[in-house]
Amino acid sequence: MRLTVSEILLRSKEGPIIEEKQFDLSIFKKTQELKKKYEIRYDPEHPIDVTGSLADRVFQAGRELFLDIGAYCTTTRRAIKVTEKELDEEIAACPEEITLGQGQELIRMVHRSVEGNEEPVVVAGIQTTPFSDENMMFTIYRLCAQDRCVDGIWGGILLKIDGQHEVIAGTPSEIYQYCKTIAILRRAIEAAGRPGLITISNAPTSPATIAMFDEKDGLRRSDYIESTGMSEMKVAYDDLNRSAYGLAHGVPIHGTHSSVIGGFSAIPEGAAMVSVAASLQLVAIHKAVCFRCGAVDSRIKSRVTRGQLWVAGTAIQGLSRNTKLIVDGSIGDHPAAGPGTKQYLYESAAGHIVSTVMGAHSTEGTRKYVVGNTCNFGTPLESRWMGEVCKAAAGMDRKQAEKIIKYLLNKYESHLKDAPDGDTFEHLYDQRTLEPVSEYKRIYDEVKAELHQLGLNFRN
Amino acid sequence: MEKGQLTPEEKSLLDSMEEAIIALDESQAVAVAEKVLSSGIDPKAAIRYAIANAAVAVGEKFEAGEYFLPQLVISGDLMDVVTKILERNIPQTETEKKKIIVIGTVQGDVHSIGKNIVATMLKSVGFHVVDLGVDVTSATFIEKAKDLKADMIALSSLLTTTMPYQKEVIDDLVSMGLRDRFKVMIGGGPVTKAYADTIRADGYGRDAIEAVEDAKRLLLAEG
Repeated sequence: MRLTVSEILLRSKEGPIIEEKQFDLSIFKKTQELKKKYEIRYDPEHPIDVTGSLADRVFQAGRELFLDIGAYCTTTRRAIKVTEKELDEEIAACPEEITLGQGQELIRMVHRSVEGNEEPVVVAGIQTTPFSDENMMFTIYRLCAQDRCVDGIWGGILLKIDGQHEVIAGTPSEIYQYCKTIAILRRAIEAAGRPGLITISNAPTSPATIAMFDEKDGLRRSDYIESTGMSEMKVAYDDLNRSAYGLAHGVPIHGTHSSVIGGFSAIPEGAAMVSVAASLQLVAIHKAVCFRCGAVDSRIKSRVTRGQLWVAGTAIQGLSRNTKLIVDGSIGDHPAAGPGTKQYLYESAAGHIVSTVMGAHSTEGTRKYVVGNTCNFGTPLESRWMGEVCKAAAGMDRKQAEKIIKYLLNKYESHLKDAPDGDTFEHLYDQRTLEPVSEYKRIYDEVKAELHQLGLNFRN
Repeated sequence: MEKGQLTPEEKSLLDSMEEAIIALDESQAVAVAEKVLSSGIDPKAAIRYAIANAAVAVGEKFEAGEYFLPQLVISGDLMDVVTKILERNIPQTETEKKKIIVIGTVQGDVHSIGKNIVATMLKSVGFHVVDLGVDVTSATFIEKAKDLKADMIALSSLLTTTMPYQKEVIDDLVSMGLRDRFKVMIGGGPVTKAYADTIRADGYGRDAIEAVEDAKRLLLAEG
């Protein structure tokens, strides 16, 4: 029996009043205490926990953290808490398998085990970076959708509506733009011959996210709705609006949250506990049936630093080993380097291998850390890479994964702060043939061959 | 009074207060601050040296990856506590007026971590920082800045679709004839120096450390 949204709302109104700063500091104090209690230690020499015992302790610590401090509701300035019994019931009530997509593109998203052979679901497509115009958006998404190694596509944003009006969150332009772009994405997947493909998009505000749902031209019940937990361990009514919509209309709820290395959990050990705790928050409070268990680093604009790989990988492994929840990792979705570079491919591969081997899916698209408003800053080849790597890593054991991760870290780790910017679709794809330019294809093939040599069994 | 003019005992007392702040030891810092107060050391000099040195040391630990956001927050609070103790012996008219910065994440945007780090680091180097939180409207920024007689408005945005709200604050200040009254600094993941120049912001920080340096340049250089 799961707690209802009404019960969660009640607790958000009647839970303990706490100053936000005190809640933030309680994360720090509690994680420091739990680090000692559960003897959790991050060893940079081992970016992957190959035995699982450390991951188990991280899971127990994260669970205790969530039960102790709850989640902070920024709307009501109160902590929302659940009991141990309620949390156990929430976890037990979550499905081990959901179906997404339609027709020939219908797929099962299952609980994945560590080193499991279960097929990871890959939702690629370019997130965050704006597209210059509707035609460009349509073309890039059609090409992404044509690639059979991806199971779904993330929707993006247009720089301007009708080429002239700015898109501003919280204004009618946001709703108009997001509805328009999801319709373009639907047309693109139909043009690619895959009308049932999963489509996902998430707007800054809940009204715009909810407005995108339309069985004919928008998001469908066979897609999922995102309910985001704010870093770290926080929730606002705007997030719960999305959950309420999902529950009311039978749309699967996908939660997402990132712990912050250097944030209030401070160190990697603390961030790993927060990653677990926030995942449980997404299940118990946001009513998610699958969720992204992630980590960011407050100092480096890449999500695949050595510390992040350990944090997210250990948390995912802990969740996979100790529950039957459906976990999404998507660790490789924010490289420091841009499209068209070897470093992008190395960073992306490292994250997606860790996600997959530790027991997660990867459904958060491709993108780099966005700086400025450079348009069309991504190509279908990064989607293919994400799909190829995730599918190839299924079934790999942790020791082999660690060997590859160390190789990849050695390739990019010292260049995270001066990563190459990469280039745009216009420069990386021949605009006549709509194929990657030879130089980009050569880079792609070389990196693929390198990883194949290391033991990644690509399907093609 | 220069630090060199202190007696060895006075210097030792200020050093131990500085060390207690750096070590985040509240009870020790408070106890030493009380001793400093009763020792006859000029409290303004004590603030100027011991607390300023502690702030620098904490900042260095942050940059070195030894301290993180929680330690910045705790040390900032501790510096406030110690300063209040020392100010008991300073006439109201002589207390140093800190430059005031109103900071927040703009409307439609709920990302807070980067803004929190910048706010805490600005506080640790001696600014009076008023954090308005996230999803803050232009009207609220301007109203608070007016009420507090702030020197700067600092605007964070993590989304390309909320960056226009940074421009809106500047445009509103212009429309209200208040643009010259406040420095405006912007930052956040997708924000660039070029964008800051385009919307005529005074300052920009690519990261927290740059933001602090730019705030110092804008607010302290003018005296």
